Amino acid sequence: MEHIIIIGGGGAGAALAHDLTLRGFEVSLFEKGELTSGTTGRHHGLLHSGARYAVHDRTAAVECIEENRILRTIAPQSLEQNDGLFVAVSPDDEAYGVSLLEACRASGINVKNLSADRARALEPALTSKVRSALQVPDATIDPWRLAMHFFATARQNGASLHPFCEIRGIDTRGGRVTGVEILDYRTGKTKRVKGDLVVNAAGAWAGRVAALAGIDVPIQPGPGVMIAVEGRVTNMVINRMRPAGEGDIIVPQRGLSILGTSLWLTDDPDDVALPEEHISRIIGNCSLMVPAVGEAPIRSAWSAARPLIRDTGAASPQQISRTFECYDHAVTHGVEGIISLLGGKATTVRAMAEKTADLICRKAGHTIPCRTRTTSLLSWRRFFSAPSGDGPSRRRA
Amino acid sequence: MKRKIRLKIRRHRPGIRTKPRFETFLLTVDTDSSVLDVLEMIQSGQDPTLLFRRSCHHSSCGTCGMLINGEARLACITRISELKRGIITLEPLPGFPLLGDLAVDMTPFYEDIGERWSYLRGAEERSGTKLPKGIKRFERFENCIECGCCVAACPVSGGESPFMGPAALAALNGELQKVEGEEIEPLLKQAGSERGERLCNRTLACSRVCPTSVYPARHILDLRTRLRGDGQKG
Repeated sequence: MEHIIIIGGGGAGAALAHDLTLRGFEVSLFEKGELTSGTTGRHHGLLHSGARYAVHDRTAAVECIEENRILRTIAPQSLEQNDGLFVAVSPDDEAYGVSLLEACRASGINVKNLSADRARALEPALTSKVRSALQVPDATIDPWRLAMHFFATARQNGASLHPFCEIRGIDTRGGRVTGVEILDYRTGKTKRVKGDLVVNAAGAWAGRVAALAGIDVPIQPGPGVMIAVEGRVTNMVINRMRPAGEGDIIVPQRGLSILGTSLWLTDDPDDVALPEEHISRIIGNCSLMVPAVGEAPIRSAWSAARPLIRDTGAASPQQISRTFECYDHAVTHGVEGIISLLGGKATTVRAMAEKTADLICRKAGHTIPCRTRTTSLLSWRRFFSAPSGDGPSRRRA
Repeated sequence: MKRKIRLKIRRHRPGIRTKPRFETFLLTVDTDSSVLDVLEMIQSGQDPTLLFRRSCHHSSCGTCGMLINGEARLACITRISELKRGIITLEPLPGFPLLGDLAVDMTPFYEDIGERWSYLRGAEERSGTKLPKGIKRFERFENCIECGCCVAACPVSGGESPFMGPAALAALNGELQKVEGEEIEPLLKQAGSERGERLCNRTLACSRVCPTSVYPARHILDLRTRLRGDGQKG
């Protein structure tokens, strides 16, 4: 079978390596740092029900609820399946709740109207000012372990995974990509790897990878700030019942509460500044929903760059769709043998992989059905015992 | 507040450059920055070849364990302001195979942790909570993030030692709380094996360094009490 080279060891690359090995392809994946060292590990850990997008981004909402259901069955050990609430604390919130309820139903998201009393019975830490709530099937993800489930399974099935290996060049001959040039930071050596097709799955860094082949892709890095505070004060995910904005979510994760998030646009995916004013605004907004998080000590604050698809027509950064797209550069730029996978989010990595692998099959003339919807993933722990196709064992380096 | 800092980082590429050496980096950083922030600054601004592991940046993944001034800690939640002024020394976690510089291979860590041992447990009860329809119980992730700090700090485990180590024993004891019937015996047998709790010398270093308050030493004492029924205090 064809040899597919994946650039990027985040959630998208992990899910794609899994899908392609199940379909019988030979897979090599290269990541410049440790696996999941980019955006993947750093997201706030929400398994979206889709409700956050239902009103303004129906496509993303439908993708989310479908994948939400699938991930619960194929990787249950990486999820806390406790549902989520959208809470109204003002009359404006309640007005938005009317359209939210309708949009959730139209998107196929199970939603239940709760009185303020019922919401506070479920989650006693909610503000006494809560007016009403909607219950939706959100859940909490362990971001690293979910990605490692995909990597463990892909590796077991023969994928060759190479962390600490950065792409330095893309080789082409006669308008066709023939392979890549890789710098292995562990050996300090550069090597050439031949492949039949290269997939750019570098997320927010996809622009840099595509540029190596002289291709401009519409990637728009969109960093945001997240804050982990000490103490788990709710079990359900708490969202603000209003249009997507700053400080509208609290995700319980272990003994911590993760507060999110802000959004700005940048050209540099490594521009992950941590603006002090974002931290205070997010904490302020989140404590309007759950006052206890405003008093809790901060364990950590960090930023992560979302891999948005450029959309100059969006009214605000929050309105940019969170869907994903595969670009076959034979079609977009006349360069055969390279695909870029842009956009998407942790909740939808499996679907992103399916669509990309479908495209690869079409290009290669295969009709091999996708099996990732029903294939249970191996435990992340298996990553550390799976037989490795990565050459010399990592065990005794 | 800004502070000028001097970091001494152990550099080594096993099999490539055989001799480990310390390299010094000078930076001006905000004292609120974490050690991980500083490593990222060095990687992007001074030396892209520096190897270290990282993912979540908030002590949930467990990938950035390292020795910071000789103590096993997570780089992501260790702030510069917590460290005494003077040179900051960074070394990889001892007792694990080295991938390079500060990055180690965690394979041995998982050797005695069952692949199927559950990673979810019941969430703490809060007053007045009634479960939403369709949910049997609220659940949460375990506190143990499998970072390896306890194993690195333990004077008995690591390297060629047969001791399965504090993390595996804590995980085993956690699993014992969840299982019933015939699943109990094999776990107790593993805890009582020649590689099990008997090798713990009760230094308590594991509990001291654990960044997420798992207190492995308490779990080991639980197991010891259960296995020997003599209730010795540790």
